[in-house]
Amino acid sequence: MSFLLNCPNCGERNVNEFRFGGEVTSRPDPEASQEQWSSYFYFRNNAAGVSREWWNHRFGCRKWFLALRDTRDNQVQETFWP
Amino acid sequence: MAKQSSNPRLPPGPGELIDREKPVEFQFDGNRVTALEGDTVASALHASGVSTFSRSFKYHRPRGLLCAAGRCPNCLVNVDGVPNVRACIQPVKPGMQVSHQNAWPSLRWDFLSVLDRMGWLMPVGFYYKALHRPKLLWGIAQKVIRRVGGLGKIDIVDVPETAYQHRNFHTDVAVVGGGPAGMAAALAAAEQGAKVTLIDDQPRLGGHLRFSPRESADIAGFPGGTGSQVADELVNSVSGASRVRVMSNATVFGCYQDNLLGILAGQDVVRLRGKRVVIATGSYDVPAPFKNNDLPGVMLASAAQRLIRLYGLRPGARAVVAACNEQGYMAVLDLLDAGVEVAAVVDSRPAADGGLPEQSETVRSVEERGITVLASHVVIEARGKNRVREVVLQRMEEGAPAGPARRIRCDLLCMSGSLQQADGLLYQAGASRDYSQAPGSREHWALLPGLDAAGDVTGPLDLASCLMQGRLAGLEAAQAVGLASPGLQADVDAVKNRLTAAPGVQDGQPALSYPQPGPVGKKEFICFCEDVTVKDISQAVAEGFDDIQLLKRYSTATMGPCQGKMCSKALIELCSQSAGRSVESTGVTTSRPPLQPVPLAALAGASHMPMKRTPMDQVHRRLGADMVEAGPWQRPHSYGSPQEECLAVRQRVGIIDVSTLGKLDIRGKDAGALLDRVYTHHFSNLRVGRVRYGLLCSDNGSILDDGTVTRLSEDRYFVTTTTGNVDLIEEWFKWWAAGRELCAHVNNVTSDYAAVNVAGPYARQTLSKLTGIDLSSSAFPYMRSAQGEVAGVPAMLLRIGFVGEAGWEVHAPGEYGEHLWQAIMDAGSEFGIAPFGLEAQRVLRLEKKHIIVGQDTDAFSNPLESGMDWVVRFDKEDFIGRAGLRAASEGGMRNKLVGFVMRNGQVPEDGVPVVAGRTAIGRVTSARRSPTTSAGFGLAWVPVEMAEEGSEIGILIDGKPLPANVTLTPFYDPDGQRLRE
Repeated sequence: MSFLLNCPNCGERNVNEFRFGGEVTSRPDPEASQEQWSSYFYFRNNAAGVSREWWNHRFGCRKWFLALRDTRDNQVQETFWP
Repeated sequence: MAKQSSNPRLPPGPGELIDREKPVEFQFDGNRVTALEGDTVASALHASGVSTFSRSFKYHRPRGLLCAAGRCPNCLVNVDGVPNVRACIQPVKPGMQVSHQNAWPSLRWDFLSVLDRMGWLMPVGFYYKALHRPKLLWGIAQKVIRRVGGLGKIDIVDVPETAYQHRNFHTDVAVVGGGPAGMAAALAAAEQGAKVTLIDDQPRLGGHLRFSPRESADIAGFPGGTGSQVADELVNSVSGASRVRVMSNATVFGCYQDNLLGILAGQDVVRLRGKRVVIATGSYDVPAPFKNNDLPGVMLASAAQRLIRLYGLRPGARAVVAACNEQGYMAVLDLLDAGVEVAAVVDSRPAADGGLPEQSETVRSVEERGITVLASHVVIEARGKNRVREVVLQRMEEGAPAGPARRIRCDLLCMSGSLQQADGLLYQAGASRDYSQAPGSREHWALLPGLDAAGDVTGPLDLASCLMQGRLAGLEAAQAVGLASPGLQADVDAVKNRLTAAPGVQDGQPALSYPQPGPVGKKEFICFCEDVTVKDISQAVAEGFDDIQLLKRYSTATMGPCQGKMCSKALIELCSQSAGRSVESTGVTTSRPPLQPVPLAALAGASHMPMKRTPMDQVHRRLGADMVEAGPWQRPHSYGSPQEECLAVRQRVGIIDVSTLGKLDIRGKDAGALLDRVYTHHFSNLRVGRVRYGLLCSDNGSILDDGTVTRLSEDRYFVTTTTGNVDLIEEWFKWWAAGRELCAHVNNVTSDYAAVNVAGPYARQTLSKLTGIDLSSSAFPYMRSAQGEVAGVPAMLLRIGFVGEAGWEVHAPGEYGEHLWQAIMDAGSEFGIAPFGLEAQRVLRLEKKHIIVGQDTDAFSNPLESGMDWVVRFDKEDFIGRAGLRAASEGGMRNKLVGFVMRNGQVPEDGVPVVAGRTAIGRVTSARRSPTTSAGFGLAWVPVEMAEEGSEIGILIDGKPLPANVTLTPFYDPDGQRLRE
């Protein structure tokens, strides 16, 4: 992988500076059913297409942000604050 | 070296790379070779009369110089222990040890060349077809094939020293290829203000101008002259352009996403990111298929020209040149000028008016010099044992060789005309050919944004158009990176118009009369790396492997060290011909990095592990500590005797460096709310000055980390994490704070503080000598904190008890670390203070059954099963891990982490299984010998039904289950009396 990511704080940087935080999921309500929680723990969309993801600028400002990335070709459409 | 003549060199010529005043000596297979500075190993060996450079991969046929440009596999040698070095691009260095590969006992007499006669036993894909049954056979065959076939050997005993470094560069415009197009592009972009990096794989810029004499008149903005003169002029401008950085002798081996270039430059692997990349890698000639086209002495015309012009060497004595365009005739003139007798020019094209295939000035001057030009002829065979002695020609009649064969004696056969664009990087970068656009225009390549192609890589061009395309690419690159000087657009339009008016595409295509449609010979090599012949390919297609990708995998053509540079074009043409498809619909094999061989050591880079040292590191070393790695840190394992250290802590007082603890400073009015969210326990209700143990779980309830949380003030907490985990935990906290309207700031202060833990019955007395803070149990009870001065430096004290004795963790600014350590050591000397290391700490905490996350727990461990349900507060509405833990508590526990004592005094190793009969039912996570009772004890995961005080379990030691008893209370001070004293 060698693509560039645009950190909303620092600008465009090599992807090696970032930690991938997985796709954005929505955490169920504390009293939600066990099934909902299990699906939140263990299931991901793993889309072949645009995915909404967490990224952390580990070797930079150390902030978390979100990115819309096409998982097929690593084209990053947009990055923004959560 | 028998054939060495007294002076093999030609008279000095312009543009040569050698320094005739500076001889260099090196060894080849134990013989001394004298070369000149600037020589490559190959040119030096050629000068000393060597014609066989290697033995081929499969048939062990002798192979000589073919491309002399680092593209083919023919001259792989071992240099100073490094295998597979391309001799033709490896500069000579004094004293270097060069040896041949893949031949025994010698290069000239290779025992395994007998394989050449046994080709019938090894048809294409033979290892897929034969050697299957019995199964045993393949095992044996594999070993034999490994030994017999293949490339150089790696010496794993005497590993050569390498010093590869990785570097990261950035540039506006990266231009790959230092020929005329590349230089023109670099100059144009720089002239518009762009920062340019020009990468070229040769020692000197100029590309083909350095060895081929294309002449040109003045072209708008560029001077004319011979190739070498034009190159010199361009090089002068390039070296005068301050914004152009030139990397010579640098090979681009990969073009990755978003314009990242991987470059091997000497001992450096450079990762160059360009906002714009211009590929101007040019083209090169490739071999033609005829019988024995791999004999030493058969070489590309450009290789002969390189020998002449770059190294002042005569490539042979008597040559035949196979040509089919003007370039071949230029090579003829070069050979004549170098004093080579040219026996004949063999041209596949029919004779036009005047009996010549072409009416150009070059062709006429060849004829005027009395050279026989044989139109409508092709070479069908080269003959000779270890070197070409004669070539066999035939007339082309109705598109096929026919009629009587004609033999010509020679010791050199130059192949010219079949051109291959150096398009590997373009394909890697996702470009594809647009066959609706003629080759020779930039439109011939469909390119992704940010990428451009210029020069011969688009198709065969005259020099003027090469320069123009380069200039256009440079100007557009400047535009693309946001530089727009007034008049730039007008410049761009002018160059475009010039290119449209005179595209300058050269008639280079007749070369495609290869491969011959005649009878297919066995020894017509297509792939020199893997010894694949024309016959192999047609047979593979006949067997049904007619898809180019399958054909490649089945025949292994294009899969050798040259990665298809010499054969991919011929493979595509043969495949399309044999399968009856167009070249366009045949497609191409996938081009992947590395384009050129790159040593694994280069990709690995320098072997340096970043290492963290605590502020007291020097103290430990002076004390003779045995240092170990703990995460990124260096920590004392012990100072001699862990046993003694344990006793010192239990009976007197001990001090341990805990600076490596992760430390987070968390501030803001919502700091408590954040901690409530991430920890299983409450923290917003923690009173200022109190310390509380904290456990972090992932959302499914498994243990992530633990540590202490101290409330320093209303809106400030001090958090410690386990050594090595702090970066992860910092990210974890920030992640759960991200996007929520929380006023909580997480700051990693790990390296700011030095910290020691002073513990033992005399810890209080020791520290009291150094601080005014009242350390009595009533004023400073267990799990409290205070801030003040210790040994005259500002410090924070936490009363905690990881090792199970009354003790204080003292945190002070890192720069006072050594001072603090020394002051405490001095103060404690009257009580017999002793430093203790990690091993003693492990034993002491194990006696208290305090877990180490990651040692006693894994990704499946939750706090309930680990016996830490007391830190999980389900009364909180929500926290990270609550739902998972709730499910775990409702679902019932399967295993528990319990203590055990071995009944007969053995000490199991960490990690051994707990068994019932012959079944593993659990595992030991930590075990040691007790320093006080000498018993073997530890922690183990066991099924919940065995987690009862006193129940008997078996622990596997040296293959035998040995008895142990479960214990649920700490082994030492079960009520925590000493901790609180």
